[in-house]
Amino acid sequence: MEAQVFYTSYLIMAKIEKEKNELNLTIPSQEEFTNDNKELLENFEKEEVLIDIQNVSMVYHLASEKVDNLKEFVIKLIKRKLKYREFWALKDVNLAVRKGESLGLLGLNGAGKSTLLKVIAGVIVPSFGSVEIKGTIAPLINLGAGFDMQATARENVFLNGALLGHSKKSMLQKYDRIVEFAELESFMNVPLKNFSSGMLTRLGFSIAVDVNPDILLVDEVLAVGDAPFRKKCFARINELKENGTTYIIVSHSIEQILQLCTNAIWLDGGKMVMAGDAKTVCNAYTDFCNEKK
Amino acid sequence: MRTILPVTKLDTIRKSSYILNSMVRNSIRSQYRNSILGVLWTVLNPLLNMAVMALVFSKLLGSGISDYPTYLLSGNIIFGLMRQATSTSLTSIVDSFGMLTKVKVPYSVLPLSRTITALVTFAFSFIALVIVMLVRNVKFSFSILMTIPFLPSLLLFSLGIAFILCTLYVYFRDMKHIYGVVLTLWMYMTPLFYTVDRLGNPLLTKLMQFNPMYQYVTYFREIIMMGTVPSLESHLICYAWGIGFFLIGLLFFKWRRKYFILHI
Repeated sequence: MEAQVFYTSYLIMAKIEKEKNELNLTIPSQEEFTNDNKELLENFEKEEVLIDIQNVSMVYHLASEKVDNLKEFVIKLIKRKLKYREFWALKDVNLAVRKGESLGLLGLNGAGKSTLLKVIAGVIVPSFGSVEIKGTIAPLINLGAGFDMQATARENVFLNGALLGHSKKSMLQKYDRIVEFAELESFMNVPLKNFSSGMLTRLGFSIAVDVNPDILLVDEVLAVGDAPFRKKCFARINELKENGTTYIIVSHSIEQILQLCTNAIWLDGGKMVMAGDAKTVCNAYTDFCNEKK
Repeated sequence: MRTILPVTKLDTIRKSSYILNSMVRNSIRSQYRNSILGVLWTVLNPLLNMAVMALVFSKLLGSGISDYPTYLLSGNIIFGLMRQATSTSLTSIVDSFGMLTKVKVPYSVLPLSRTITALVTFAFSFIALVIVMLVRNVKFSFSILMTIPFLPSLLLFSLGIAFILCTLYVYFRDMKHIYGVVLTLWMYMTPLFYTVDRLGNPLLTKLMQFNPMYQYVTYFREIIMMGTVPSLESHLICYAWGIGFFLIGLLFFKWRRKYFILHI
């Protein structure tokens, strides 16, 4: 199966190269190709697919006007005025992420990056298509995923741990490390509502990376936090990568994607425009952005 | 190297229990944060409320009741358990909007945690009841232990209503105001500070049978004040209401659940 996909993509690549450079390439048959690249294929197939997304579409029915009280709803129902506008946040997206892969998501605002992350995180169920996930996921989407602002930072470490599937006991063992990494020792008994956005990010990041998830989802959070902490985050992410953690990063900084990811995909208007190694996709995306200006 | 497995049902249940544990702790702590007497208020609150009501109503409605304060308090804490569980659950899904759009959480955990918090409050109120019984020299009997098999029926009933309410609230924010009025009406229609005999109307007495809270309050008063174990029929009625409402609520909740995220 994988061999087939590999061979097909090789054929396409070879064709393009041939036309472009007018090379005299002899294209091998599938068997020859498979034989030549046996080792590479085997290595690749060994890694499990952790995230398997097939033909996923997400359609929102935006009410032209928001109806959230009974009176309006009944009136509109009677008058048959409940009109909806369709909005396709994702359209026919296919994606397979293997263990140890690091993937960057690129795209303009409203391209569907965050929706795709939410689909992977299991927060929203797509309108069409199938999503299969193996392993535990730690989402780092916006500030403080699942923080209780009234409770203290300490209580939130345990709540957040629970949300990520860890018992109080196992969080107690991690607690000191988390606090140390976040550098928030003297603020742990302060209610979170008094935290700055930078402090929230620190805490959220420290918890998410310490629970050792199989898959880490990072959405635009690395932009917050000061330079030294950001550096620390990068180092930690690289460390996780070496330990075989799979992660997906959404960022508007091409630089960050190049630095942290091996592969990337580019979304536009909910559709996948391009997928491939980070460098190629980033270059294409940069060209696209420059043209737009 | 770790082997990576798909998340199973058992993992989800385990995770839910961790979340419940943490949420219930936090909500109990937050109720009394920054108050000097702290958790003591959970016991004091029902006591003081009962004292006020006893002061106002005992002359007016207290005749024919062996011990009016105990009568009041026992009814009130049972109704209070249902009230706290349902009215706090009402907003539970919408309140947790921020969390639900970021982390995968089994939605049922939210009304469940509010219901368990109400149960913990009930446990403290129960201490208040015991204090009143001691002060008023009400005879203790072993039938008080029947509270343990009785409570699940009331919890199931409350949880069923909680499921329905929190689902409706996602769609219609009016529910909060409507349910507030319904609760007040329900409270006055349940014999909490009067007796059914006082109504002096056979039709009303008959209709009262269809008020589930009347059944629960009556059961609880029987084991607390009369010291007898209620009939099999009473047990069946309590559990029929409990299981019935729980199933209706759960099905309704499950039916709408996947659309929540699009509406909150």
